[in-house]
Amino acid sequence: MRPDAISRVGLLQGTLDLLILRTLLAGPAHGHAIAKHIQRTSEDLLQVETGSLYPALHRLEAKGWITPSWELSKKGKRARFYRLKPLGRKQLAAEQSKWEAFCRAMALILNPVDQEEP
Amino acid sequence: MNSFLRKLRWWAQRSHKEAELREEIQFHLEEEAERCQEDGLGEDEARWAAHRELGNLALVEENTRAEWGWARLEQLVRDAGYGLRQVSRNPGFSTVAIATLALGIGGITAMFSVFDTILIRPLPYVDADRLVMIWDDLSGEGRSGHMPAPAEWLEWRRYNTVFTDIAATQPGDATLSGDSEPEQVPARKATANLWSVLGVKPLIGRVFTEEEDEKGALVVVISHGLWQRRYGGSPDVLGRKITVNDSPYEVIGVMPREFYFMPARDIDLWMPASFPAWLRTNFTWHSAQVVARLKPEVTLERGQESMAALSRQVTEKDFRGPHSVVVKPLREEMAGKTQTALIVLLCASSALLLIACVNLANLLMSRSAARGREVAVRAALGAGRGRLVAQFLTESFVLAGLGTVAGLALAMPAMRFLETLVPETMSTGRLTLDWRVLGFSAGVAVVATLTFGLAPALRGSRLAPQDELREGGRGTAGARSHGFQHLLIVIETALAVVLLTSAGLLLQTFQHLRNTDLGIRSEKLLTFETPLLRYQDFDRRVAFVNAQLASIRAIPGVVNAGAISRIPLTVTDQATFYLLAGQSRFSDQVALIRVVTRDYFPTIGARLREGRFFEISDRRTDLPVAIVNESFANRNFPGRSPLGARFKFGQLNEKDYWYTIAGVVKEIRDTGIAEEAKPAVYLLHEQTDQWTMKGAQPGGIVVRTAVEPASIIPAVRQAIWSVDKIQPIWRVQTLEEIVDRQLSTPAQSTTLLTAFAALALLLASLGLYGVLSYAVTQRTHEIGVRMALGATSSDILLSFGKRGLALTLAGLSVGLVLAAMASRLMTALLYGFRPDYIPTGTAVSLILLGVTALACFVPARRASRVDPAIALRNE
Repeated sequence: MRPDAISRVGLLQGTLDLLILRTLLAGPAHGHAIAKHIQRTSEDLLQVETGSLYPALHRLEAKGWITPSWELSKKGKRARFYRLKPLGRKQLAAEQSKWEAFCRAMALILNPVDQEEP
Repeated sequence: MNSFLRKLRWWAQRSHKEAELREEIQFHLEEEAERCQEDGLGEDEARWAAHRELGNLALVEENTRAEWGWARLEQLVRDAGYGLRQVSRNPGFSTVAIATLALGIGGITAMFSVFDTILIRPLPYVDADRLVMIWDDLSGEGRSGHMPAPAEWLEWRRYNTVFTDIAATQPGDATLSGDSEPEQVPARKATANLWSVLGVKPLIGRVFTEEEDEKGALVVVISHGLWQRRYGGSPDVLGRKITVNDSPYEVIGVMPREFYFMPARDIDLWMPASFPAWLRTNFTWHSAQVVARLKPEVTLERGQESMAALSRQVTEKDFRGPHSVVVKPLREEMAGKTQTALIVLLCASSALLLIACVNLANLLMSRSAARGREVAVRAALGAGRGRLVAQFLTESFVLAGLGTVAGLALAMPAMRFLETLVPETMSTGRLTLDWRVLGFSAGVAVVATLTFGLAPALRGSRLAPQDELREGGRGTAGARSHGFQHLLIVIETALAVVLLTSAGLLLQTFQHLRNTDLGIRSEKLLTFETPLLRYQDFDRRVAFVNAQLASIRAIPGVVNAGAISRIPLTVTDQATFYLLAGQSRFSDQVALIRVVTRDYFPTIGARLREGRFFEISDRRTDLPVAIVNESFANRNFPGRSPLGARFKFGQLNEKDYWYTIAGVVKEIRDTGIAEEAKPAVYLLHEQTDQWTMKGAQPGGIVVRTAVEPASIIPAVRQAIWSVDKIQPIWRVQTLEEIVDRQLSTPAQSTTLLTAFAALALLLASLGLYGVLSYAVTQRTHEIGVRMALGATSSDILLSFGKRGLALTLAGLSVGLVLAAMASRLMTALLYGFRPDYIPTGTAVSLILLGVTALACFVPARRASRVDPAIALRNE
C-alpha cells in the first residue's frame, strides 16, 4: 500500500519543524500520531523518518516551542504528548508566511504567468 | 542564561530523561506494530516491520540525545574514557609518552616558576617599571657600571629634567650593641627621598625627613626582620634609643616584611646619608648607588640621552674630563647575570618540550597508522572526519593531562634546586606551584597537545576505509607521511644539537672559571670580618688588630692569620687614582687599594713575581713601601721591573706621601673570579697612619688552618673576645664557600643546560629509533620481496642505516648553524671567556653520530634479519 519511491517527496531541510508545529495546532499529539498525520494529510507523499522525528521533537522542546506531558493514548497506554506553546504558535505563524512566500516565488518561476495578460 | 539553566536542570534529570526517551520510542514501536497488524501482518512480522521502519535504534536515541545540548561534553567524556582505556591498554607506549611529556612540561614549569619570580612578578615598589639605576660610564677606564659620586647625585638631582626624583644610598655597616649581645648587621645610608622615590611606606612609625638627613640626625629605620629578631616585634620599639656604632640612634620606623632594596635583600638598618660637606663637592669619591623614578611620559632612551648630556656637563671640571652615565631598569639591575641565565634556560627548556612534542607526534603518527583498521571501521560505521579528529585529539589531551601531572611532580623537587638561582639582590621567597605557575603549565599542556596531537589526528583520520579494510591490507602510509616524519626527526635532532653545543660551551666556560688561578690557596682558609668602627684611632687600631691576630695564631690547628681591608673575591671595588713619580698630572689611572697586615700574603698563599712581601723591617716610617700586582706592573712598567719605582695617591692624600714598590705579587682575584684582573696596590697597615680612607681598615681576617676550618670557629670567637669582649664577628665563611657561591650561577646554569641537553639527546635518538623501527615493521613485506629477489642482509642494513645517517647529518648541520647563532645570546653567560666553538662542535657531532648510529643500527639490523619466507607468508 506504500507509494512508489518515485512519487514520494523527500522532506526539504527545515520543513519538518514546520510540519510538526502545524500538526500540533490541531491539538496535542504523540510522536507516532504526528508522523501518521503528516503522512496521511500529505496523501502519503511525505514520509516522516522516525530517525529525524524524535530528534526534531526534542529540538523543538529544547527551544521552548512545544511542551511534553505524559498522557493516556486512545488505547489507554501511557504516551508522551506534545502541546504547542504560545512561543511555538508565533514561530509557526512566522515560518508559515515565510514558507508561503517561498512557495509563491517558486510557483512564479516554475509556472510563469503570460506577460501580455493584465 | 535561561537556556543554560535549563540545560543544567536537564543534566540533573539525566537518567530520568533517558528512561523517558526509551519509553517514548518503545511506545512508537508498539503503535507502529499495531498499525502494521491492522494492515494485515502477523504479530512478529508487524514487530519487525516497525523496527525496520525505525532503523538503527541506538542512532535514533543518540541523535535525539544530541538535541539535549550536552552531547558534545558527553562525547568528550566518552572519548576521554576511551583515551584512558587506550593508555592502560598500551602500557609501554603510554609510559614512554607520559614520561616524555613529563620531562618536557616539568622542565619548563620549573624554569617558568623561577623566571616568573625573578623577572615577571612585580617588585615591592610602586610602579617598579618606572624605576631605574644610574651608573657612571667610565668606559675609558674599562668600567661602565661604576658607582657615582654623591656630588654627582646632588647635581643630577638639581638639574635633571627626566626624573620625578633621584635618591642615593651608600654602604654603612653597623654594629648594634648596648641592649643585648653585640651584633653586626648589614646597614645602608640613604637619602631621605629614597622612600618616596620607591613609593614605599614604613609598616609602623615614619621615615626620616630631608631636614634630618641634612643635619645628620641620629635616627634609624629598621627592617621587619631585625624588629622581630632583636626587638620582639613590639610596637614600642618606636622612639627607643639603640646603640649603633657606639652612638645613640632613635628608632623612628619599621619597614614592612616584604621590603628590600639594592644592593642586598638582608639590609637591617637604614640611616640618613647625611653627606658631609667635603663629599658634596668631591667628584672622585665614587661610593653611591643611585636610583631614580622616570617621569610618566619619559622613556628609558630619553632618560639615558638626557642624563648622558647632563653628566658630561656636570663632570666637565673633573680632572679626568667629562664622562657619560648608564641608565638601567631597576629590574635588570637586580636580576643581573641571572637574567641571561634564565632566558637561556627557559629557551632550553622550551626546546626540550618541543623535542618531546615532536617525538610524541612521531610516536602517535606511527601508532595512528597502525590503528588504521580501527579508524576504518569507525569511519565505515559512520564516524565523520571531525568526530575522528576530535577523538584523536581527546586521547592526546588525556596523555597530556597525565604528562602534566607527572611533570608537576617532577617540577617540585626541581624548584627546590632552582631557588638558589634567585640573586642576592632579590627577595628570598620560596618558589611555589601557585596559580600563575599552574595556569602556565596548563596552557603549555594545551599548546603541547595541539603541537603533538594535531598532525597525527589529521593524518590518522584521513585513511580511506575501503583500502584499509581490504583483507591483508598493508597500512602503507605513503611517501608523503614519511617525509613529514623525517622532517620531525631533523627538527628534533637540530634542537638537540643546539642544546648540546650550548651546554658544551657553558661547560668549557665553567671549567675555565673553575680553573682560574685565584692567586690564593683556597683550601682550609677561613675568613670573617671584625668591624673596626670602634678603633678609629690609628695606634689603638694597629694594637688591636695585631693582638687579635696573635691570639688567633695561638689556637691549636691554626697555621697563620692575617688581616686585609677587603676579603678577597667579595667586594667589587675600593679604588683610587695614583700618580707615578715622573708623571706631571693625574690621569684616569685607577688602582684597587688593599690595606693588609704583614702576615696576609703568607697566610693566603700568594706567590711573588719579583721583589719581596712585607717584612718585619717595614715599620712606621717616612718611606712606606707597597706591593703591586702584575696588572699594575704590566700596565705601568711594560717590559721592565717596577721595583724601586715610586707613586702616590691623588686627592685623598694631600701630603706628598710617596710609596716605593717593593714587590710584585701574582694576580689575586680580589674583585671576583669572573672579573677581569685590575691594577691593585697593597699597603701595609702599620704604614697607613696618614691614611684617612675609612673603609681601608684591615677588618677582614683570613686564617689558614691545618684542620677543618669550620671546627675552629668557636675558638676563633673566644680568641677575639679575649682581646675585646664586645667585638662583633660576622660573615664567617671559608674561602671555598665564597668561591662556590660566586660560581653558583654558572655552575647551576651549566648543570641545568647539560641536563636539558642530555635529555634532548636521549629523546631525539629515541625518536629516530622509533621512526626507523616503525619503517622496518611497516616494510617487512617489501624487505622480504627484496631479499627474495637477491638483496643481501648488508644491502638492507645499509639502506636503513643510510636513511638514519642522512637524517642525523641533516639535523646536525642545521643544529650547528643554529647553535652558532644561539651562542651569541649566551655571551653574558660566558663571562668574557671565549670558548672554542670547534672542539665543542666536534665533540657534539661525534656524540650525536655515536648515539644515533646505535639508534639506527638496532632497527636496521632487525630489517637485515628479516626472513623472506616468513615475511612473505605473513600475507
